[in-house]
Amino acid sequence: MVQFSPDVAHTIIKAAALLGAGFAMIAGIGPGVGQGYAAGKAVEAVARDPEARGNVITTMLLGQAVAESTGIYSLVIAIVLIFTI
Amino acid sequence: MNPGPRVVTYLFGNPNLPVTDTLIVSWLSIILIVIFARVATKRLTLKPGRLQNAVELLITSIHDQLEAMLPGEAMRFLPFIGTIFIYVGVGNLIGTVPGLVSPTGDLNLTLGLALVVFLVSHYEGVRDNGLWGYLKGFGEPVIFLLPLNIVGELARPISHSFRLFGNVVGGGIIISLIYQVAPGLIPVPLHAWFGLFVGLIQALIFGMIAIAYISVAKSG
Repeated sequence: MVQFSPDVAHTIIKAAALLGAGFAMIAGIGPGVGQGYAAGKAVEAVARDPEARGNVITTMLLGQAVAESTGIYSLVIAIVLIFTI
Repeated sequence: MNPGPRVVTYLFGNPNLPVTDTLIVSWLSIILIVIFARVATKRLTLKPGRLQNAVELLITSIHDQLEAMLPGEAMRFLPFIGTIFIYVGVGNLIGTVPGLVSPTGDLNLTLGLALVVFLVSHYEGVRDNGLWGYLKGFGEPVIFLLPLNIVGELARPISHSFRLFGNVVGGGIIISLIYQVAPGLIPVPLHAWFGLFVGLIQALIFGMIAIAYISVAKSG
């Protein structure tokens, strides 16, 4: 088994953590798709009933903010990986 | 806007009592809210002036939102939810003032508020359904789902607090990155987006989700 000196081992850990942070942000795809879907449906709703514009926009923003939470989790994990290791 | 809290001083010089900048700014925002509330409610009249009108609009819109989700009990929860909404909103907005940081970019604050909401929602659930009736709700629809329901219940304060924390800190990190690349006037629109728009939306979301958790617990 190869034995690394502490310096080299720390560099490898740091590099792996930064790579992991990058991979964690792949989760950003999910909220992107979800928010886009919500926005598209909101556009359809406004096109069908332009008078309900205010209500539709409020509901859309609420739903998008909730859909965003998985992306936020991955962001928090990426921040932890970058700044604590 | 801040990429995270940092310790600025120690209380009584004791190294076990660190005081972070977010703590100082959160007390500053509390003092500002109290002063504003005193000024706004000093001379209440039947024909409201401009300031009273604005405050009444804020309070009635929170009340309407509560009435829609917790029918008949809006007045009971208005002080609680209104306090959360106003405090989180001011905490998010105060971060756009140069030299100040957002107190909501500190997990201690958001997790504290989320735990308060968590305790209140369970208290309300027990109060409305009785202890046994409320506990039985965790074994629904089949008893095998009990561990899953408990884990889901414990994940609520975590997701509730991390949503606000991640939004504020993520915005702060993006802005500080842009400041390193392009100083000057270029990051100003980003302050408007992350500080004002996202800040207000996230305060609204934090309050709405608190109402939703309470109303779900009440229905069993």
